[in-house]
Amino acid sequence: MQEATFLILTALADGAQHGYGIITEVAQISGGRVRLRAGTLYTALDRLRADGLIGVDREEVVEGRLRRYYLLTPEGTKVLAAEAARLHANATAALARLRPGLAGGVA
Amino acid sequence: MSSQATADTERLERGYRRVLAWYPRSFLADSEEEILAVLLATAAEGQTRVGWAEAWDLVRGAVRMRLWPAAPRPRAVRAAVKLMLTGAAAELAVAITMLTTAPAVRAAIAARDAAAVHGAAVHLILDLTLAPLVIGLWLWLAWANGRGEDWARMVSAACFGLLTLSMLAVLGQGGLIFARADVAVASAEWVLGLASVALIFTPRACRYYRPQPIQQ
Repeated sequence: MQEATFLILTALADGAQHGYGIITEVAQISGGRVRLRAGTLYTALDRLRADGLIGVDREEVVEGRLRRYYLLTPEGTKVLAAEAARLHANATAALARLRPGLAGGVA
Repeated sequence: MSSQATADTERLERGYRRVLAWYPRSFLADSEEEILAVLLATAAEGQTRVGWAEAWDLVRGAVRMRLWPAAPRPRAVRAAVKLMLTGAAAELAVAITMLTTAPAVRAAIAARDAAAVHGAAVHLILDLTLAPLVIGLWLWLAWANGRGEDWARMVSAACFGLLTLSMLAVLGQGGLIFARADVAVASAEWVLGLASVALIFTPRACRYYRPQPIQQ
């Protein structure tokens, strides 16, 4: 899974968000490192919707423009949890090898 | 908002709409106003033109959507598409190698057997003429299989069959001497072909190429 996809799913993990909301959430989650552009975001959203990982929660019209709120589907939650566990296991292994004493590994 | 600011926003919006015109009509019908709102919300204060970086990002997204419309693609099909793109890259690498080493190879042949130079030159020209066609074929099949076109599966299988037959025919002639690199490249392309054809005929891939009609 690409990092942008992972971060988009993460941004939706605790509730529905609209497009601009996802961009600000992703920037926050990544500590300002990942600034999604609209083209990248909507290409990813289009694919995630087709793959059934996200769905549309509701639509609003704000200042004459459509605002759509996206949310994770049960399948999306499952996929994100699996990917997070995989990344976590990898990161834990890396830290254990880098700093055996600090990460509780065997020296 | 001042009238100047409104005019700036309208100008920027027209610019965005021009770039968004690259997207598939179905996407625009569904999401143009939505993505436009996000673009305007993320634009810098006083911005009146679409920046190069955001134009590039939008065009890249549009090209992706047009080439591979979003549909749940099974892993086997995604892998097959990657293998086919690898096939195109391998063929390109071979063509570049042939071009850059041609003078050295020619000198080596001339040193051994001057009469063979002409035949080798004809062979090289033939190979280099075919290379763009082969690259194009790999790319075309990768694109069409990625879209789930059922005919693309059949064409892929037919091409693989032809490749196998032509290899058997060449090997069956006997007495020919092959450079080790030739054998390696031909085998690699054959394996790529075999693996990609095997992947697109797996049961999961079959459901992608021929979606089941929705049960009423």
